[in-house]
Formats: sequence, C-alpha cells, structure tokens
Amino acid sequence: MKTEGKKLTSTDFKKIRFFDHYTDKQLDTIARMSSVKEFRVKEILFEQYDELSDVYVLLEGSLSLGISLAKEKRIHLGTIEEGQMFSWSAVFSPYISTAWVMATTPAKVISIDAKTLNKEIEKDCDFGFKTMSKIAQTISHRLSDTRFQLMNQLML
Amino acid sequence: MVNDKNIYKPLRAKLKDVIDESPLIKTLVLIPEKQFSFKTGQFIELSVDGIGEAPFTPSSSPLVTEKLEVTIMKTGYVTEYMHNLKPGVFMGIRGPYGRGYPVEKFFGKEVLILGGGCGLAPIRSLLYALEAIKDKLIKVILCYGSKTPTDCIYKPLFNRLNITEKFEAYRTVDKAEEGWDGSVGVVTTLLNKIKVDIKNSIAVVCGPPIMMKFGTIRLLEMGYQEDQIYLSMEKNMSCGLGKCGHCMMGEFFVCKDGPVFTYNELKNTPDIWK
Repeated sequence: MKTEGKKLTSTDFKKIRFFDHYTDKQLDTIARMSSVKEFRVKEILFEQYDELSDVYVLLEGSLSLGISLAKEKRIHLGTIEEGQMFSWSAVFSPYISTAWVMATTPAKVISIDAKTLNKEIEKDCDFGFKTMSKIAQTISHRLSDTRFQLMNQLML
Repeated sequence: MVNDKNIYKPLRAKLKDVIDESPLIKTLVLIPEKQFSFKTGQFIELSVDGIGEAPFTPSSSPLVTEKLEVTIMKTGYVTEYMHNLKPGVFMGIRGPYGRGYPVEKFFGKEVLILGGGCGLAPIRSLLYALEAIKDKLIKVILCYGSKTPTDCIYKPLFNRLNITEKFEAYRTVDKAEEGWDGSVGVVTTLLNKIKVDIKNSIAVVCGPPIMMKFGTIRLLEMGYQEDQIYLSMEKNMSCGLGKCGHCMMGEFFVCKDGPVFTYNELKNTPDIWK
C-alpha cells in the first residue's frame, strides 16, 4: 500500500456519485480528513474481522469482496465498482470488518479517517444525516444483493 | 382454403443451423418457407411434429424476414428434443403473437436494459432493433448477469456493442471461474457503475423471475417511475391466442396483452414474480 502525497479538494469528490448532494463546504471538510491510497494486485486492503479505522471509496481499479471460512479458503462474493463506498464498519461500533477486500487490479482508493468522520457526523446534523443516509443505502443494497444471491442459490 | 384460415396451422421452417451458446442453451437458425415478420418482443410458438410446441421470443433481428433465430434453454421434454435436432429437419412456427417493445416510445431517450440468463435472447432482438434506430436514441446500456462465465450467451455480442457508437455493455457473473477477471455479483451490482439520466430514460428488464423482481425493485429505488420500466413476462404461455387461459396474470392474458408490460400495468397483479 502506498499513500499519495496529493492533497484532495472538494473538486475531487464532486466527480464521485457517493458524494452527490453534499455542499462545497461539506466536501472540503471530507477532503481534509481524506487521503488517496494505492494498492497492488492481490494486495489485501483488510481482512474479515480486522479492526477498521478508515472508510474507503474506490477511485480507480477493481476490488474483490468476500468472506473467509479460513484464511486459505476465501469465498469471493462480489466486485466493488469505481465510485462505490466500502469498509462502512469503520463508522459503527465494534468497528470490525464483516468481509475481506482484495485488489484484483492496481487500485486507487480515497481513505477517510473514520474517527474524524464520526466527530463531524455528531457535530453537523445535515452532514451527519447525508452521510448516514448514504451509508445506509450502501448497506441496504449490499443486503438486497445478498438476498438476491441467496434466492438464486436456493432456487438451483 | 380451410387450412389458410386455421389459426393453429404453423408455417414450415427448415432448421439451418444449431449454435451452442452454453451447456444448457442453443440457438436454432430457421429458414421459414415464406418471409416471416415480427416486432421485437413479440413471441412465436415453435413446434416439432409429433413432439409438441413451446413459446419463444425470437433472438434475431426483427428487420430480417428470411431467417429466424430462436434461442432455447433446455428445461423439459420439448426443449430437450429441440436441442437434439439436426440441420435439415422441418419445424413449425405460429405467430408472431402479443405486444412487443414500443420502441417508438424510446426515441430521444436513454435505454437501460437489465438482463439475466436466457433473458438475453429477447434482448438481443431488441438490441438489433435499437441499433437500427440509434440516431434517434441518446444511448443504450446493457447490464447482463449469468451464473458463471460459461453460462453467458452471445459472448461476441458484448465486444461488438462496446465498439458501437451510443452502446455500452457490462457483464457480471454470480460465480467466477478460472481466467475470469470481470465483475462478480448479481446483475443489480452493475447498476452501481453506470451513469444514466433517469428522468430521460426507459428501463427494460428480462430474465428469470428472481432477477426481474430484484432488478425492478432496484430501478424503482434509483428513481425510475413505474411506467418507465418495461418487463418481458414470458411464462406459462400455451395457445398464444388468449384462449386457453394458461398465461392469465390478474386481468391480463400474457400471450395477448403482453408479453411486454410496464411495471405500472402489472404492479397490483398477484404473484407477479412467481
């Protein structure tokens, strides 16, 4: 993993769908708590059950998300697409990841410091509502997709 | 003279070729004895003498009248028999029946197509139709999911669409195999990566019932209105003429009033996704 030196600005976030509806000021706030990280092919961003400190948004490349029965037995559940948010467990107690994520191509992600993000969520109600709504939507889609996958399996 | 008026009498068609699409799916290329026209989304009844008939939506271009392609998934006795047919035999075609896609309503819009499994067969016919009128469309996005890469049908179609102006095509698989480096996950996950102007868009959904249910729910969540979503309900059709009642869905005969409906028309129908 490599951290890019480039300072992020609100403009960088405007291109990403996850950050639609935030004001310029709010995007500046997010930019200040964020950095860009790069990962090599097959590099693990985090393992299932790892304690998480950052929320991620995929900027470039492709990531694989899955669960493990054992470290050697990884079950690939899905692909994270560009613009998608992941690692949402970093925002909620007990801050433990529910899945592993691995780079399947060279990948660039925005890494948002979760402690600072949580402080801002508590401080600014509008920012907090938008952020929690976005995270809830992400989790809801993940749940819906998992049910879809489950029903596919049950119908086989 | 009596035969000319016999609505059950099929048109003879010679089987020219059988194309393996996946382990369970084959495309039969037929040459009808007379020119055969249909509108994209309409269906036909395809028969084998002494064996039976079954409904299928042609997968070929509605602009081609001298050749007809039908993509068939092996699901039972008749379809298994059709899979084993050899070029040169004659089959029967009745139809076309029902209401197809109202492509004239797609003019000036973006068309988002969500397909799964064998549902790509009617969609391929629609794509041919849309390609012919692409000057009147903003863009066409195809999102398609199959169980595995091996189960994906019409593989060359995706490369061709991705180099066709105004067309974008994305694939995903439920389960990856060795060598697959594309997306993994159900077809709705592809909706996270596409950019679509929902207000000026039409969505088309065709595939297995589970996929149609979850696909439609996600489209509604994205902001699509109920009358912007077209569903291809190809199930339980038997006579094709609105007489036998096998395909009744609420107040509709799928074979006569459909098979293409808007979600708005069907939303209150019991067991819509059954």
